[in-house]
Amino acid sequence: MSLKTFSGPYIKNSQNASQIMNHLLIALMPIIIFTIYKNGYIPYREGYYDFIMIFYPLFFILIAVLTSCLTEISFFFLRKQNIKEAFKKSYAFLPGLFVALVLPLNTPIFILIVGAFIATAIGKLIFGGFGHNIFNPALLGVLFVMAIYSVNIVESGGYLNPYEADVISGATPLATEVEGIGGYATLVEPYGRLSDFFIGTIPGSVGETSALLIILAFFYLAINRMIKWRITTTYVATVFVMTYLIGTLHGFGAWYPLFHIFSGGLLFGAVFMATDPVTSPTTPVGQLLFGLFLGVLTVVFRFLSPYPEGVLTAILTMNLLVFILDKIGFYARFNFSKSMAGFVLAWILIVGISFLVAAGFDQKDEDANFVINEVAEVDNQVIYHVSQRGFSGWIEAEVILENDEVVNFVILSQTESYWARVENANYVEKLIAADDFEEVDTISSATITTDSLKSILRNVLEDYHE
Amino acid sequence: MSRGIRLEKTIKEIYPFKKYLNPNKVYLPLVAHKSEDITVLVKKDDYVVEGDMVAKSKGDLKVPLHAPISGKVLGFEQKYYLNNKKVKCLVIENDFVDQLDDKEYQLYDYTKEEVINKLKESGVVGLSGTAFPTYVKYDNDLKTLIVNAVESDPDTSSDAILINNKCEEILEVMDALVEIFGMNEGIIAIKKNDLLIKKIIKNYIGTYVKLKLVEVPDYYASGWERDLVWRIKKEKYKNYPIEKGIVVNGVATMYAIYETLKYHQPLIQRVVTFSGDKLEKPANVLVKNGTLVSDVIDFLGGLEEGSKMLIANGPLMGESIASYELVVSSDLTAVSIITALEECKEETCLRCGACVLACPAKLSPVLINEATDNLKQFRPQKCVGCGLCSYVCPANINLRNKVQRAKEEIA
Repeated sequence: MSLKTFSGPYIKNSQNASQIMNHLLIALMPIIIFTIYKNGYIPYREGYYDFIMIFYPLFFILIAVLTSCLTEISFFFLRKQNIKEAFKKSYAFLPGLFVALVLPLNTPIFILIVGAFIATAIGKLIFGGFGHNIFNPALLGVLFVMAIYSVNIVESGGYLNPYEADVISGATPLATEVEGIGGYATLVEPYGRLSDFFIGTIPGSVGETSALLIILAFFYLAINRMIKWRITTTYVATVFVMTYLIGTLHGFGAWYPLFHIFSGGLLFGAVFMATDPVTSPTTPVGQLLFGLFLGVLTVVFRFLSPYPEGVLTAILTMNLLVFILDKIGFYARFNFSKSMAGFVLAWILIVGISFLVAAGFDQKDEDANFVINEVAEVDNQVIYHVSQRGFSGWIEAEVILENDEVVNFVILSQTESYWARVENANYVEKLIAADDFEEVDTISSATITTDSLKSILRNVLEDYHE
Repeated sequence: MSRGIRLEKTIKEIYPFKKYLNPNKVYLPLVAHKSEDITVLVKKDDYVVEGDMVAKSKGDLKVPLHAPISGKVLGFEQKYYLNNKKVKCLVIENDFVDQLDDKEYQLYDYTKEEVINKLKESGVVGLSGTAFPTYVKYDNDLKTLIVNAVESDPDTSSDAILINNKCEEILEVMDALVEIFGMNEGIIAIKKNDLLIKKIIKNYIGTYVKLKLVEVPDYYASGWERDLVWRIKKEKYKNYPIEKGIVVNGVATMYAIYETLKYHQPLIQRVVTFSGDKLEKPANVLVKNGTLVSDVIDFLGGLEEGSKMLIANGPLMGESIASYELVVSSDLTAVSIITALEECKEETCLRCGACVLACPAKLSPVLINEATDNLKQFRPQKCVGCGLCSYVCPANINLRNKVQRAKEEIA
């Protein structure tokens, strides 16, 4: 009579890891279908795409998924692991899937492949594979691609699908708002109304635009207890409170915080990236603090740094602090006051940074968009050295006037995203040559830049006439 | 307090009650309050009478063990105890002479000191798994008596059957204790969805002014003493509830107190639930301490074919035992003989935090699992071994085992 023994417990609930991943995929499905609709079907309906191109977004996603799966398979092969077994438990599709959803639609395929490869190899495998990575793999891949290839991505069209490129001629909503400035007219109106932000028919990366579907996905996951919902709620609430304060101090209405929440991938990041189980705290209090500081950092990166990827940078930064937050969270379970310092710090930062941003905001606004740096008179020529706010930064220029006429117009420096288009069109030369520069057509895919160039001349002439 | 987890299988079947009081031999495990440090008072070939003291634990508590049957001492043998380790047992051969008389005593005639002394000399200990000597709890200023009838383990119904059969006796002894110790109230706590025992208790409790019935939610580990005291009395304590004047006893212990005070019967028997899909006829069996589980299985009609496992004390907190030669002891509440299970293959931790949310002792099993050194900072000593962390883990990691090992390591 021999009896089998092993250490108990001997019953288990029915939840297992692959179930969590299945729920995640179910939650992502509507988002993927929506991007096919928005970035495939709408351009097709409007006549910008062939029929087959409707499925380009899906193709885009599959390429990335395939890349990360192949990367893992070759890794297992090199490590001489049982490929089938190891692959089953490594959820290899995840980094690629998220890389594709976070990148702009027009990212060249080779850059997408690099992103998915880096996400899998550097983000995940060098740490020892699934469950051992410190940083969110997908975001690490996207960060790499954004740092190295951002110019190439913008050159090939950036975030706009062909239809949007024609209608909107700008970048994504947040990119116009580089320094956190702008009213309803500059931030929201070019893309429609706030409801379009909610539904998701605005420019943005492949999977990030539809606030509605992401919120639905969040509730689906939260009700099924598949997600660390504390992180998402505190993260979004923090950003709401801070941007509400900033907006109110500047006289903006309730649309302003909503704009911030519905744009720039904040919701997608808060629901899918910040809650990645492997790279987020396990304790409830740790998760609350994680969400609070994510919100603070996102606002800091959006308003106080020139770097555009606020959500991405915030999540990767907080990934570093998971262990500390977990420890605080551990002690807080026995004695909540042990975590008080963390909460107090978070609240101080929330209020302090909101006021700091709001203050800087006013001052910059008074500066207006046009500054005369220097005026010199040589013979009968007047030389203006001026700065004008353009599409993505300041344009510095030298304008030479003679007898009420613009005789020369030299761009000294600029950081415009679509400058190549301006140069290719010899736009500056056209402005000089024209009898009335106001009559020169704007370049449809670089409206703001070309308008800024006209503003320079308009403002200089205005000053000259005075 | 964490409210615990609602188990997927909570519907409880209350198995029929049976008695198996006259085995041919008993193997009385020489363990008292989990300690094998014991003085044996008899030797080979001695004749002992049912109820004679045969051993006494060393140390401060001095818990006595009594002969469960009358007969000749055959010597000592090693048998399995419920931690799957062998312990030294005193073997007595039954001569089938019933020696205990049926003289009755009045419960309300006892004084405090008499109750404490009676409990001490009868060797009454906690029968819900702790085996903590009961008299120690009563040797204090007491305000509240709580009888814990919250049986969380899905396969155990030994408390339910006692309430079914002996509800009047249990309520009577509760009232007597409240009276004798001048306590304010006596509370019997049950799980909300245990409808049968709720009905029975409600039938009888009306006649007692100071007794009341309290329902707790149907979550696993809501019967954990610390959780129960917080839920009912909103009191927190450091080590034991008696710090706050609260004494908590299980249903089986309360009935053992009744038998001791009413009949002067020492603690020599208890009800054990025998269940599992491999057992022909599951039952709640009243057995003598030291009875071999294999004898009880034969008495119940034997086992079905196929590979099997024997689990002592429930599927979540219990251990699998390597042999049917497991002996009944005061801390054995349930035996389950089931089709052999496959041990779940451990996967990589997802860090999902499910174990943290499940832990009733507010531990973070995931952090203990990850920690390489300085385990003490994560306080594994607070683990109560409820098994919920392993139950919820989606990666099949046996966290209960790891935390318990950490607990042993720092001890």
